[in-house]
Amino acid sequence: MKLLSSIKKELILASRGFYFYVELSFALVILAVLLFAIPQNFSNTSTEYLYFNLPQEGREIFINTILENDLDGESEIVELKAGDTIFEGELIKTDEKEIYILDSEEAIRKLVETNRYMGAVIELGDDNQLHYKYYLQGYESARLKNLISILHNENPDVLEERFNNLDIRPLVTDYEPISDRENTIPPLIAFSGSLMGMFIMAAYIFLDKKEGVITAYAVTASAVWQYLLSKIIVVLITSIISGLVIIMPVMGFRINYGLLILLLFTTGFFASTLGLLIASFYDNITKAFGVVYLVIIIMMVPTIAYFIPGWDPFWIKIIPAYPLLQGFKEIILPNGSIAYPLFVSTGFLAAGMILFAITNIRFKKSLSV
Amino acid sequence: MLKKIWIIFLRDMRVNTREAMTLYMMVIPLILAIGINLLTPGINDTSVSFALIENENPGQVEYFDDFAHTELFSDQQKVEDRVMARDDVIGILPKDNGYYIVTQGNESEMVIEYAKLLNVLYESDIQLEDARSEIIEFGRTVPPLKKKLVNMLLLMISMLAGMLISMNIVEEKTDDTVSAINVTPASRSAFVLGKSLTGMFVALFSSIAVLLITGFYNVNLGQAALVVFSTTILSLLIGFIQGINSDDAMEAAGSVKLMFLPMAGSIAGYEFVTGNWQIFFYWSPFFWTYKANDLILSKSGTWPQLILYVGIILAICATVYVLLAPGIKKGLE
Repeated sequence: MKLLSSIKKELILASRGFYFYVELSFALVILAVLLFAIPQNFSNTSTEYLYFNLPQEGREIFINTILENDLDGESEIVELKAGDTIFEGELIKTDEKEIYILDSEEAIRKLVETNRYMGAVIELGDDNQLHYKYYLQGYESARLKNLISILHNENPDVLEERFNNLDIRPLVTDYEPISDRENTIPPLIAFSGSLMGMFIMAAYIFLDKKEGVITAYAVTASAVWQYLLSKIIVVLITSIISGLVIIMPVMGFRINYGLLILLLFTTGFFASTLGLLIASFYDNITKAFGVVYLVIIIMMVPTIAYFIPGWDPFWIKIIPAYPLLQGFKEIILPNGSIAYPLFVSTGFLAAGMILFAITNIRFKKSLSV
Repeated sequence: MLKKIWIIFLRDMRVNTREAMTLYMMVIPLILAIGINLLTPGINDTSVSFALIENENPGQVEYFDDFAHTELFSDQQKVEDRVMARDDVIGILPKDNGYYIVTQGNESEMVIEYAKLLNVLYESDIQLEDARSEIIEFGRTVPPLKKKLVNMLLLMISMLAGMLISMNIVEEKTDDTVSAINVTPASRSAFVLGKSLTGMFVALFSSIAVLLITGFYNVNLGQAALVVFSTTILSLLIGFIQGINSDDAMEAAGSVKLMFLPMAGSIAGYEFVTGNWQIFFYWSPFFWTYKANDLILSKSGTWPQLILYVGIILAICATVYVLLAPGIKKGLE
């Protein structure tokens, strides 16, 4: 009862304060960015510069083969700038690439050096065989360079035939991909909703410390844990509302909102108690803020693995933000797992409760700290 | 006036050093810079990861090792379990007359094509020793991802320094020290500016240290100094906006969150938005700072370009300051 009364009081106070409305307006801004600034799918076109140092006939064969994949079947003449020099080239646009055909190796060299894309020169060697010369920046991985160096060892028609005859067996066949816009939602709500609770809770506590609220609790019938929990619940309610404001207009009714609210609640609880625990070691916000800032930065590292699925070292999986991001992603995926977000929620709830118990002991010992 | 600001700064530095907080604030970006150094080689080396059966075909594993990451498992089920994990790993399993490729079903087309190509090259017995393509390199060693991460870190330093300034101001306000300044020879503005110098020093020191640690010591240091200078002015503005407009730590925390949005938006705008759409980010000093840093880190910036960008950053900061000046004066009362 005392807890409910504390929560009610905190909610009334929060609704009168600045933070509650900052959260809501922040959620609306993120929503606007998602709907209007982030495209449904990012463009994945790459740029290449090519020079065919071949007799006219050979050159035409290559260009016509590339032109078959051009979006409108026609190339266009364009001017390309490399420093102060301007080169004329023929642009062929396909679904995946923008290929510029140039007239000299010097143009390739200068453009690759200046614009930092890949370039290649195809010419006839002394043995009357095609010779491929690739221009790279130098930072490409050794494995990629190895692949490039043997790419033209076999007849392309033979390679293509073998390539198309390979036996591919997907383990999941009903997988429905999500758009790039939808894919950006998990990091946004993870950091805007769940993890920022850490910072906000620390700030909340220092404000109350300053005003002597925590000390005043010593002479009331309420326990310190009730006070702390009421603060956490206000932050959680705010982060759930702002999370829903961001997700609902983008995802509609395609996702399981029960799971989403559960994950927002448990991860927010974990982050808020972590913020409280950090705050309990310091006597002002500036000091605590330094630690919270470092923790938030560490929590951001799994975002790299989230966007680069091929890079997934073991150590990154032990950072709590990793299961947090994957949990939100499973909720958004059309055929996502229900078990995984439930498992993650249980883990965060358990960890949050342990942290809360430790924090409570610390605050009880030093009511005025 | 300048002497008073300097005295306040020195006093503030002494106090901060005693608490080791400023030192800590300066150390955080350095730790992150070391983190970037450790992270980027692994990320840059990311191509495709294969899961294969141990001892089934050691020659094949050795072959793939030159082109991809390989992981070995005791049986087919374990390979399939690995493929089903959350990251992108492609399984290669034996069948009667060769091998088949196992995918989870959600990998990008590029990953699958890379895996298919490597399998075709292996089955065609094309060896690395017989390589026929020539590779010419420009000797660049810093991958684009590292450049982007360092650039983001430089922007975060300006935010960090800005937050330090704002927290300093808020603390003084809540302690009522600003009012106490009325009975000293220093003005309130001089006091707040003096308190802000600590944050500016943090921005300056951290930015230079990050450039050195991450291996960008061969960039044009004159140009870098110019942008770092504009970044410290930006930090000051951030700190002022947050500090003066916040009556307590809670409000300052809320403002911090609000300030992250234009920063993240500007980075995303520069990296993902192409062509004329970038015009929508021209109002943001973070956009110009990121753009200027990008030119410096790529070693492709010219002085007129850099002066133009820094001029725009300072002009935006000055405009915002002029617009907020009445509020700032009121906030100090």
